[in-house]
Amino acid sequence: MIELDNVRKVYGDGTVAVDDVSLEVPEGETVTLVGPSGCGKTTTMTMVNRLTEITEGDVRIDGESIQDTDVIDLRRNIGYVIQEIGLFEHMTIAENISIVPDLRGWDEERKQERVEELLELIQLPQDVKTQYPANLSGGQRQRVGVARAMAAEPDIILMDEPFGALDPITRDELQDEFLDIQQKLDTTIMFVTHDIDEALKMGDRVAVLRDGELVQYDAPKDLLGSPKNEFVANFIGEDRVLKQLSAVTVREVMNAPQVGEGAGENPLSPDDSLKVALQRIFQQGDPLPVVEDGEVVGQVSEADIQAVTDRRTSEVLQ
Amino acid sequence: MSWAAALALLDVPLSSVFTGWIDYIGANWDQFLTLLRGHLVMVGIGELLAILIAVPAGILATRDPRLARIIENLGAVAQTIPALGVIALTFTFLGLGKRPTILAITIYALFPILKNTVAGIQNVEEADVRAGRGMGMTNVQRLRRIELPLALPVIFAGIRTSTVLCVGVAYIGVFVGAGGLGTWIQAGLTTVNYDVMLAGAIPGALTVIAFDRGFSVLEGMVTPEGVSRDTTEGGAAA
Ligand SMILES: Nc1ncnc2c1ncn2[C@@H]1O[C@H](COP(=O)(O)OP(=O)(O)O)[C@@H](O)[C@H]1O
Ligand SMILES: [Mg+2]
Repeated sequence: MIELDNVRKVYGDGTVAVDDVSLEVPEGETVTLVGPSGCGKTTTMTMVNRLTEITEGDVRIDGESIQDTDVIDLRRNIGYVIQEIGLFEHMTIAENISIVPDLRGWDEERKQERVEELLELIQLPQDVKTQYPANLSGGQRQRVGVARAMAAEPDIILMDEPFGALDPITRDELQDEFLDIQQKLDTTIMFVTHDIDEALKMGDRVAVLRDGELVQYDAPKDLLGSPKNEFVANFIGEDRVLKQLSAVTVREVMNAPQVGEGAGENPLSPDDSLKVALQRIFQQGDPLPVVEDGEVVGQVSEADIQAVTDRRTSEVLQ
Repeated sequence: MSWAAALALLDVPLSSVFTGWIDYIGANWDQFLTLLRGHLVMVGIGELLAILIAVPAGILATRDPRLARIIENLGAVAQTIPALGVIALTFTFLGLGKRPTILAITIYALFPILKNTVAGIQNVEEADVRAGRGMGMTNVQRLRRIELPLALPVIFAGIRTSTVLCVGVAYIGVFVGAGGLGTWIQAGLTTVNYDVMLAGAIPGALTVIAFDRGFSVLEGMVTPEGVSRDTTEGGAAA
């Protein structure tokens, strides 16, 4: 668990980059920090591995202040994907990936095994091991950057716009892959992005920053459902309702099934998003049965979906 | 004006330019080898000392901007001292012979190496430095694993430049009896013998070219694989 406790960062030139931010990243969860460029995302994140010294306040990891930990040990125990990827051009991919294991003194065999394991995980062919970053595509380099951060199996990973420099299609691909990877891990992740869609997609919780202040810290669907103020609402964008439909599952809105209702030809699953549900309703009419493990567990109608967006929209406008 | 005409104007007989100096070297082969060896030994030792001083000083300079200013100024000043002045000032306590000359060479060689060491390290991407720090490298580890390997080609370019300079500086050693190829220049000058003068001068020029080429190859060898050299375009030489 990472706790930021009233942290504040004033740079030497007087810039207040982060102003009194408190937030908790629970064990094993992914928190995305999102906000416009210059709002203090990188600064907030790098205070955790002390690349940025805190001006006021404290950061604790599993209850222990990072000021009480040796800074080198601290950093070796936290994976870090820097905004510019920062692969070392003079090292092979294998050498790049095994830097932290090497710093931690793993033996050659263990490093090799880990490199192979990670290349498989990030879906790169084993023969890139001996290649140099310059030979890789942008997407491949980003993948290696992520693998490098994961190499020594840290409990915490900090990722600064890890997919920032990619075209939309590759970015989407990498996001999906990383969500997959993340499910298998029990890693606490702080993920910085300026893209609200990415923040909503990748985060168990989303922290919206503005001018160094934490504006809202909520689960994606709560952020979408009840943005705290106009800034957040605007930042989410015009298509907020559509995003909300993607973020809420059928399970959350379904009603008890009517007796005698059959499963129908094309039933919904409780884990489908409302976006999928609405599309089916447009095609097949409502109500639609919801089926889990071959059993009808509920039903959803257009009105149920409407109610979600209405209720939450009206909350915002108050 | 053709170069032959230019030489005529300088009163250098064409026979000296084409064959005279070669004949002279051939006739005095043993002495030639001694002088050449003496010349190269002075350049080699002076250069080595300069590397031993300038590379660490350059590294130090990149650790602290205030130190950087002082060190770079010292280096720049060192290069403005006339080599002959250094020799004249120091032979009284370093004695006659090679030692004052080596000192002059060292002082002359410092600045290019220093300048390139600083530039090479400073040119390492800020992102690379941050990545290294963020992953928990100590300052020494970062220097050894990232900054120096990436700066090495630039440092080598500095060594190349200074070596070439110092082949020239070594000629003036003759004034304090250091030997070297300057011996024949002086002999040639006093007897107005162009064959002898050129027998001293041309091997030096050829040495400069050889060093330049040799170091260029070395630079390629120390350029880490995966890093494209400044002189080559785009793409990595992997
Ligand atoms: N080293 C620094 N010195 C002075 N100001 C800085 C420094 N780094 C960042 N800043 C300023 O702090 C603010 C927050 O920067 P940053 O955390 O990088 O934002 P983000 O990652 O959200 O784009 C910006 O106004 C930026 O200009
Ligand atoms: Mg940033």
